[in-house]
Amino acid sequence: MKRENFTPKLIKAFRLVLSAGLVLFTLSVSAQITGVITDKATGDPLIGASILIKGTATGTVTDVDGSYSITAKAGDVLNVSYTGFTAIEVTVGAESVLNITLEEGLLIEEVVVTGYSTTKKKDFSGAVSIVKAAELRAVPSGNVEQQLQGRVSGVTVVTNGQPGTSSIIRVRGFGALGGNQPLLIVDGQPVGSSDFLNPDDIESTTVLKDAASASIYGARAANGVIVYTTKKGSRNSKKVNITYDGVLGFTDPNVAGAPKMLNPQEMADYTHLAYRNNATANGVEVKYNHPQYGTQAQATIPDYLHANGQNGVRGSVDVEAIKAAALASPGTVFLIKPNLAGTNWYDEITRTAGLMRHTLGFSGGSENSKYYVSLGMQNQDGILIHNTFKRYSLRANMEFNLTKRLRFGQVAQFTYREINGQQGGNGGIGVADDESDVLSAYRMPTVIPVFDELGQYASTKAGGFNNPRNPVRSRTLNLQNDKSFNANGVGLLYAEFDVIKNLVLRSSIGADFTSNFFKGYNYRYLGDSEPEASNSFNEGSSNGLGWVNTNTVSYNFKIGNHGITALAGAEFLNTGKGRFVNGSGLNPFSMDLDYVNLNVVQSPVVSSGLFSGVNFESVFAKVDYNLNDKYYLSGTIRRDGSSRFGINSRYGVFPAIAGAWRLTGEDFLRANNFITDLKLRVGWGQMGNSNNVDPANQYSLYAANRGLSYYPIGGQNSGADEGYFRSRIGNPDAKWETTTTSNIGFDATLLDGKWEIVADLWRKNTEDLLYTVPLPGVLGTNASAPAVNIAKMLNNGLDMLIINRGNFSSDVTYEASWSSSFLHNEISYLAPNVLFFGGNGYRGVSPVRNAVGQPLSSFFGYKVLGYFKDAADVANSPAQTGKGVGRFKYEDVNGDGKIDATDRTFIGNPVPKYTGGLTFNVTVKNLSFETYLYTSIGNKIFNFSKWFTDFFGSFEGSAKGIRAKDSWTPALGDNAKAPIWESHSSVSTNAGENSWYVEDGSYLRVQYLSIGYALPNTLIKPLGLSRAKLNVAATNLLTFTKYTGLDPGVGGDVDTNFGVDVGNYPVTRGLTFSLNLGF
Amino acid sequence: MKTNFNWRKISGLFMATVVLTFSCKDDFLNVPPTGALANAQLASKAGVEGALIGAYSALGAKNFTQVAAPNNWVFGSILGGEANKGTDPGDFSSINPIQRYETEPTSGDVNGTWNSKYEGIARCNAVLRLLPEANDISAADQKRIIGETRFLRGYFYFELKKIFNSVPYIDETVDYGTGIEKVPNTPAFWDKIEADLKFAYDNLPETHSQAGRANKWAAGSMLAKAYLFQKKWAEAKALFDVVIASGQTTNGKKYGLVASYSQIYNAANDNNEEAIFAVQSANNTGSVNNSNAFDVLNYPYNTGTDGPGNCCGFFQPSFDLANSFRTDANGLPLLDGSYNSGANALKNDYDIESSTAFTPDAGPVDPRLDHSVGRRGIPYLDWIAHPGKNWIRAQSYAGPYSNKKYVYYKSQENTLTDGSGWTRGYSVMNYTIIRFGDVLLMAAEADAELGNLEAARAKVNQVRARAANAATWVKKPDGSNAANYVIGLYNTPWTDKTAALNAIRFERKLELSGEGHRFFDLVRWGIAKAELTKYLANEAVKLVTMFGGATFRDGKEYLPIPQAQIDIQGSDVLKQNTSY
Repeated sequence: MKRENFTPKLIKAFRLVLSAGLVLFTLSVSAQITGVITDKATGDPLIGASILIKGTATGTVTDVDGSYSITAKAGDVLNVSYTGFTAIEVTVGAESVLNITLEEGLLIEEVVVTGYSTTKKKDFSGAVSIVKAAELRAVPSGNVEQQLQGRVSGVTVVTNGQPGTSSIIRVRGFGALGGNQPLLIVDGQPVGSSDFLNPDDIESTTVLKDAASASIYGARAANGVIVYTTKKGSRNSKKVNITYDGVLGFTDPNVAGAPKMLNPQEMADYTHLAYRNNATANGVEVKYNHPQYGTQAQATIPDYLHANGQNGVRGSVDVEAIKAAALASPGTVFLIKPNLAGTNWYDEITRTAGLMRHTLGFSGGSENSKYYVSLGMQNQDGILIHNTFKRYSLRANMEFNLTKRLRFGQVAQFTYREINGQQGGNGGIGVADDESDVLSAYRMPTVIPVFDELGQYASTKAGGFNNPRNPVRSRTLNLQNDKSFNANGVGLLYAEFDVIKNLVLRSSIGADFTSNFFKGYNYRYLGDSEPEASNSFNEGSSNGLGWVNTNTVSYNFKIGNHGITALAGAEFLNTGKGRFVNGSGLNPFSMDLDYVNLNVVQSPVVSSGLFSGVNFESVFAKVDYNLNDKYYLSGTIRRDGSSRFGINSRYGVFPAIAGAWRLTGEDFLRANNFITDLKLRVGWGQMGNSNNVDPANQYSLYAANRGLSYYPIGGQNSGADEGYFRSRIGNPDAKWETTTTSNIGFDATLLDGKWEIVADLWRKNTEDLLYTVPLPGVLGTNASAPAVNIAKMLNNGLDMLIINRGNFSSDVTYEASWSSSFLHNEISYLAPNVLFFGGNGYRGVSPVRNAVGQPLSSFFGYKVLGYFKDAADVANSPAQTGKGVGRFKYEDVNGDGKIDATDRTFIGNPVPKYTGGLTFNVTVKNLSFETYLYTSIGNKIFNFSKWFTDFFGSFEGSAKGIRAKDSWTPALGDNAKAPIWESHSSVSTNAGENSWYVEDGSYLRVQYLSIGYALPNTLIKPLGLSRAKLNVAATNLLTFTKYTGLDPGVGGDVDTNFGVDVGNYPVTRGLTFSLNLGF
Repeated sequence: MKTNFNWRKISGLFMATVVLTFSCKDDFLNVPPTGALANAQLASKAGVEGALIGAYSALGAKNFTQVAAPNNWVFGSILGGEANKGTDPGDFSSINPIQRYETEPTSGDVNGTWNSKYEGIARCNAVLRLLPEANDISAADQKRIIGETRFLRGYFYFELKKIFNSVPYIDETVDYGTGIEKVPNTPAFWDKIEADLKFAYDNLPETHSQAGRANKWAAGSMLAKAYLFQKKWAEAKALFDVVIASGQTTNGKKYGLVASYSQIYNAANDNNEEAIFAVQSANNTGSVNNSNAFDVLNYPYNTGTDGPGNCCGFFQPSFDLANSFRTDANGLPLLDGSYNSGANALKNDYDIESSTAFTPDAGPVDPRLDHSVGRRGIPYLDWIAHPGKNWIRAQSYAGPYSNKKYVYYKSQENTLTDGSGWTRGYSVMNYTIIRFGDVLLMAAEADAELGNLEAARAKVNQVRARAANAATWVKKPDGSNAANYVIGLYNTPWTDKTAALNAIRFERKLELSGEGHRFFDLVRWGIAKAELTKYLANEAVKLVTMFGGATFRDGKEYLPIPQAQIDIQGSDVLKQNTSY
């Protein structure tokens, strides 16, 4: 039997049409015009593009090489169009060869890739957003999801500038009390994180937002689904398409924008001011007894901050003797001179950080196959010293026909990633960390130099500066030799079989294997007041393997005006099974890198563990019906089972239904010139979630834990005996959380595509929310409480996208795209008698309360009325612990005549009321300009870093900020920016959570501004290039905000505990150069 | 033909995959938990013994707030006026209101303390529930296991009684799902404490092969202490007399006083003849929690390698405590309370730089001063002589003294400390919950209350005689005494009960300072307000930032019931203590 397949048939069809066209031409008496029509971006020939002579019925289509031939006379206008590309008009001149390039754009026939199926967007009833590769590439970030910020309405991206971190994404608010991360699908395969993806490999990203679009993923879809599709190559491309994408750039740490600290003399002066204020407050005589600043009213800085045990030395010291002592006892003797100019510690720990990314792509295909292979590397430095990120990736996607009805394919990526010197937990997401190096930079007095006179790191060995650590020392010594890397392979094998025409069976098996290793060295350093006494070493590794098997059958057919697409499938998966082991130890004989391992350390501590992942088993079905391309109805149902839940309640059924009506398909709108396309969509559906539940939730368990339940029962001084404790109380009845989503929206295209508007009004109601009801302490708090289905959450909002495009002249085209999201989030119920639960505490301040009737993570504390202005004011005000002149005066919220914990109230919340992004592109011939602005409005930030910098009494002696100069005085009164400068610490000063910390975190950021130049064909053709584009871009160029901290885009924890700035890793300005080549 | 073949083959493969995966679906969704044990796995002798170890382990309040420590450094010593928080105002500032007797019910430290005790109780109850499920435990072992468990449970409730007064009594019969959250709090559970300790006293063996276990005499001592707290003087005296006459430690040492006072606080001398029941600690266990992690903040500040720990200068002895060690010419304490006044007050280096010359006090002091209070110029164990201000984080805030008890020696670094944590200060010295010296003084108190004043005097003198052993006093490098130590016995017979009680109580202050007893003693004696008002008056003059305006008010004898617990269980179940 002759080998045959589908594609040649298509070609035959094209040829048929082509010859039909030729017949038409021969009737005319004009010159013959030939040429090739190609994709402007890739240089690929466009097969089947249509060419029509304007005002006539004469036309043709291109063949498989993109070639055409048409007979026309000079002055004729050719209308060239291709699905998904902007149609253009070309006037025929004298030349007989007319090569034309088309650009993707206007009225693009977008497709919605759900992972199981692909649907034309115009036929789709659900709420989705699609981000194309070109847009994603625009922002030169290492991680793909960071690029979604502001481009997709309804999606919140909480990100930080640290390379190698993934961002936190929330689709349409916060459905649950934790675990609100969306489901990530890469080429049909669920993955735990998208941080391995190379942005250059991505073809498109689709965000499924409502039930109608996402509930095909049923129980895992409640938080939305983000579907990444990687490049696949195309069949019948005559040659291998080689692309090169390169980015070079750097990020500036924004030293000028860092919070300003008091200079050495100011710090001394303000220390003495505090002593005076202390004396006044306490009614005693002032004493100047700081170890450095002298005993006179006028503070002075000594000649040496520290000289071998002596602090605040005035006059000379015997330097030679100290050097000798240092030689005799290395590491313990310091000679520290003041840095009178002041050390800028933020400057010292940061740098201008380089970024480099190169991707080489090969794509192509034959009649029976297509492929895309790429090699990528990214090398990016963080703005903090010794923070680096490297990623090397190999992607190989291919598909080939085994027979004319059987296709076989594979997508796979192998990635090596190395992240060093990252700060914050949870893979760098939880960057806001009380002991972070960024915070250390605000805590280290400016008078201390980086190095002492003996060339050692200088620090708080010098008395009177409390306990900050030299962050240059800790970053350099303790990070320079550390290494942490990850090798990851993720891929999917699939087979597709056409049983009969349009009936396709598909089966796939995917796997995600990851292997991590880290090693860390910490070095003894005795120069801090709280020194690091030992050399130490730790290393560890882990591995995990998850897999997924998906089997689907799909059928689509058309009977008359009735179009039906049906899909059914079954899916089985395991989220990852694996083990980890790590160990640490102290003081090896030598810290030589070639020597140290766990065998040669003292007091080795080893731990290990294993995990089994969660198994899911699902069946699903979906039917899409459309009548006459005018009325659409779509129904989805999915049944999921999960090993997270007990035998009685592990299955959940999640239905969705949606409809759409194309009004422009009706007669009454058909004739109008204003509305080109208008589709109304309405959808309802249910989805599930179980992310926030421990896999062992159904079990009551005991455990042994060295740190919690061991005990040296024999009275021995070394080693302990194993003991057990109840580690978990189980709930076998927990079941899926159910989120019911309703969505109503429309897609409108106006004035032939000049305007596009997409708007969706949505409501997301989560019930049976899994909530870990706090157990009474009498039960024993080491046992984890079970999650029970009890709480409720409400989110609603409006997503909008408005696009306007057009041309100022024939050479100058523009497109403006404005996405908007309005969000309201509210906890509607927790549990009987439970009205709230708290968040993290920082230094005794607990800023967050998650309460019924309030958004998640609301700030809760005292409301500051102002400052007590005098003794009479203090005396006449309600009782308040620690009240005093110049201290915070709180509102008596409950009116009981005293200020106590019951007077705390809600003082703001970090959920933005509005987020939006504006992209504006202008193309002038070969030049293109793009700018992208992002704004977040109505979010509050609890600026906890002020606790360290704005109170003299917070680690007294450590560095303080310039707001000290605006601290309370009788003259400033309520205009003061901080309370009176003094040592006192109580709820009336730094020990209370209050509205003074809460700042408006609204901001507008010019996130991207670029100029690109596409080299003309005449220039690059001789070089064998089909495409060459240069681009210069500035990122995070300007930020407009009233926020006083380093960066209003506060990362860190999300869901029940976010918006608290504890020395955040900032997003800062950068400049990148990129080059895109096609061969 | 070929097409047909493929169709069959591929469809078959597809169907096979589906059938295969569906057919094992019941198993597929049963994923057993990893790294943990089910109840049934523990239903054996080994399992129950392990659960009992877990209950002992809860003594250390591991992973709870440092304030919940078994040594009660905050609730016993700081509230008792023996010490203040130390360090500076901002560090661990949640202790600031506590030491000013302004504790809020919302305090996380109070909640953590509550939780730490109930964690211990929950572990004891788990042992008692698991025990009947095991069928390989002999009757004798059952008795012992129940005895040890009930001893521990009795101890935890005793702690709750001292700290909170009114708490819910939870035993092994209630649990999650069976109404545990509905048990109301009540001050009336001394009978339950007595019953647990009595069972332990009646059933536990006199010795065990493992020194960390509670034995009959630990239970007897604790029970007698429970009688004492209830003012059941006769029962207390009777039992104390038996304990003193016949008691022995778990490792078989006849109860007695360690010859040298300082050697009570030496990891090398753990489980000595005076250690009736102690929290055991060890290094190289895989977690610093098994050392004295609760004590890790309580070392001098910024000592470098010249002193112990790395951190943080907490738990600084008060002026009042230091002054209390002043003696008269006969070596007796100034029981009239004049020790704080004028020349009696101990000379100190407050407000004097370490670089400025300073000569320590030359007047007569009790030698226990320099085993208890770190002060300038006196050798700090085998480290250097205390340099004064350089070792104090914020002298003007917290005074000139450093904690000195339960501090490890330089010679013990890395052998009797656990260096695997963030600081060097994880010592493996046991904290002794009840020691023989304490028992003698409690017995003396019971005697005095019953009018046996001479018996009381003998016991007090027994304690003082040990301190008077000149060979054990702190010495300078040249071998001479580090200070002018003068200590004498009460050689005049006691005839006045009030005076006798005053002397006994003062002796407890001197002998047991910094060991977490003082505040609970003041409360049970009913003199907390009087004593602490005097204490605050004395300290607030010097430590104005810390204590200015602080007062001790009625009702502050007990801590508030944690608001967090009231929020969970409801105010109809948990009633807040008065005055909060």
